[in-house]
Amino acid sequence: MENSDSIANNKIINDLLPQKFGKAGKIWTGVLVAICLFGLYAYYRQLRYGLIVTSMRDYVSWGIYISNFVFFVAISLVGSLITAVFRLAGVHWSTPLTRIAEMIAVAAIIFASLIIIVDMGSPERFYNLFIHGRLQSPIIWDVIVITTYFFISILLLYFPLLPDIKILLTFKERSGPRLNKFYGYIGSFWKGLPEQYKLGDKAINILCITIIPVAFTIHTVTSWLFATTYRPGWDSTNFGAYFIAGAFLVGAGSVVVAMYVFRKAYHLEKYITEDHFEKMGRILVMLAMLYLYFNINEFLTPFFKMKESEAAYLNGLFTGDFSVVFWFAILTGMIVPTIILLFKKGRKPLPVMIAGIMVVIGAWFKRYLIVTPTLLHPFLPMHDVPASYRHYFPSWEEWAITFGSLAGVMLVITILARIFPIIPIQETITEQHEIAE
Amino acid sequence: MKSLNNIKTAVLSIAILFSGYHGFSQGATKGDLSVALSYFSVNNQVPYITAKVKTKIDGRFQPVAGISLKLFLDKDSTGTFIGKVTTNENGEASTTIPVSVKKEWTTSTKHIFLATFNGNKKYYAAKGDLTISQAKILIDAGSDKKITASVLELKNGTWVPVNAVDVKIGVKRLGSDLPVGDKPTVTTDSTGTAAADFKRDSIPGDAKGNITLVARVEDNDTYGNLVIEKTVPWGAKFIPLSNFNERSLYGTRYKTPIWLLVAAYSILIAVWGILITLVVSVFKIKKLGETQA
Repeated sequence: MENSDSIANNKIINDLLPQKFGKAGKIWTGVLVAICLFGLYAYYRQLRYGLIVTSMRDYVSWGIYISNFVFFVAISLVGSLITAVFRLAGVHWSTPLTRIAEMIAVAAIIFASLIIIVDMGSPERFYNLFIHGRLQSPIIWDVIVITTYFFISILLLYFPLLPDIKILLTFKERSGPRLNKFYGYIGSFWKGLPEQYKLGDKAINILCITIIPVAFTIHTVTSWLFATTYRPGWDSTNFGAYFIAGAFLVGAGSVVVAMYVFRKAYHLEKYITEDHFEKMGRILVMLAMLYLYFNINEFLTPFFKMKESEAAYLNGLFTGDFSVVFWFAILTGMIVPTIILLFKKGRKPLPVMIAGIMVVIGAWFKRYLIVTPTLLHPFLPMHDVPASYRHYFPSWEEWAITFGSLAGVMLVITILARIFPIIPIQETITEQHEIAE
Repeated sequence: MKSLNNIKTAVLSIAILFSGYHGFSQGATKGDLSVALSYFSVNNQVPYITAKVKTKIDGRFQPVAGISLKLFLDKDSTGTFIGKVTTNENGEASTTIPVSVKKEWTTSTKHIFLATFNGNKKYYAAKGDLTISQAKILIDAGSDKKITASVLELKNGTWVPVNAVDVKIGVKRLGSDLPVGDKPTVTTDSTGTAAADFKRDSIPGDAKGNITLVARVEDNDTYGNLVIEKTVPWGAKFIPLSNFNERSLYGTRYKTPIWLLVAAYSILIAVWGILITLVVSVFKIKKLGETQA
């Protein structure tokens, strides 16, 4: 019996140990690095010549960077959903997805912080936020919660990794000397003692409880950056809940895309099963409908009232300059994925992944629509301003930096997936034993 | 047959193209411009000229931007060239009278300002002129809060009073002038003076109570626009009331409201306290492992 257990364990370990990049992996990483380097070059130009290289001017002072920031913050919330909420609710089927979610959360929160520094224009002034920050300002709340959330996400990735590091160190021949040195540095002290498990489990439980309010805070505060500013489209008491609903949706969307890619790339069909897609599909459709409900709330009542001061903004979204992007975001980000996922056939791996991609793309454009149209429609009409102040379309430097940051997130996830097991090995073994018993 | 059809199609396409081109050129007609000049002398300093260029679009006059005008004093020649100006988006352009025409300016008391536009692809050539007699305005404010404005014209080298000129006497405010009394405009008498009583005792001034009195001759056919200002301590001292320096949400960094400090730091201490405890747990796990080893 012990022998058959050992064989089964070895099979799981063999399947789930990090794998070296194949040809496709190397090309993928190379492309991401190239995009990142191009983004860095654009950022060098921004540093060299100033924010004038962007299309941001007096009115649209928050452009694509802040849209991207909100998008990354939203995606990072998935860590709290998959890991914390499911774990506390006793949902065991999500075990193979927890590390993917945590890797996405860590990568997204890193780039959310970076993109804010990019938006500042003068990065050397960043420390002023800490030295001269006003606690009355939502910007400072954001700095605090992002720092806190980043730290929690790192811990939530680290604690469940400890038992896996022991396994990684056992199979030294699979990793190579440099990685083994790194594993030894971060976790060679884990011996699998009952006291260690007790401390580790307790820490994970505390983290799961802590991360939920912090995750809600980070995105609520991000929404308050807008809602505390009196502008058409932002003047809403509903913004916190609206942002959190959207964040859970895009987070879940990104997880199903990552699930599909890792499943295919590393042949993990036995661990990330069709049932996982079925269940994540159900969650995704629920979140899409919830976010659609919030969108109807956000737009239907202002549309019904059509206040003079908001009319230009709303007409711009519904039928004007931004209508194509607006309806694309609503259809692609919510309605079409809902239609796909409502059907059982739509909850197979490929359709779920397609719905996930649509959700993520729709969500990115949705963030762009939250920021830009409002800034182009101030309550006081624009007078005597240059033509460039009246319109906004990102410059190539802004696009390059944005794509560089998106590539950066994927690169961090790719590197984490190369270094650490994508699916928790020890937890999978333990669960298999529990099922067998 | 097929090649014949191709030739027919090509000829027809070219014919349509040319007919279309002809049609567009018919629509592109030139417009007429109206050039109006105004003369300004503010506080009897160097005068300046403002040109306003308009055109009629759909029955209404609209300002025209980007029109280059050449301005001359008395005659259109190199020696009397004042300068070249280009209109802004309001159709306006201004320039002061340069030192280069000082000789012409002082030899006569009556002058004609000329503006010429040579025409471009969109507009025909246009001209404008303005005749001005040199004049100045003075202001005096007595201790009895009586304001006297005097309008004087230069004749044969001496300044002589001008009768029957409308003068607006007011207090300079942010948007426009506020009349000092009941009547916004008073007319000069045979001594060239127009008087008004100051009846705005409670008007806010600066921190010392200073306000600026203004006497203005506007769009006069003979003298143009003449403006003179005088600062007097007749206003109420203005002490701005602001809670900016108090503990408020609008206050500076160190003025954070106490309740916000308590709430924020309580949350921070609670969350970071937990996180520090968890980091300590890592060291405890490490110690357990090392002890075992």
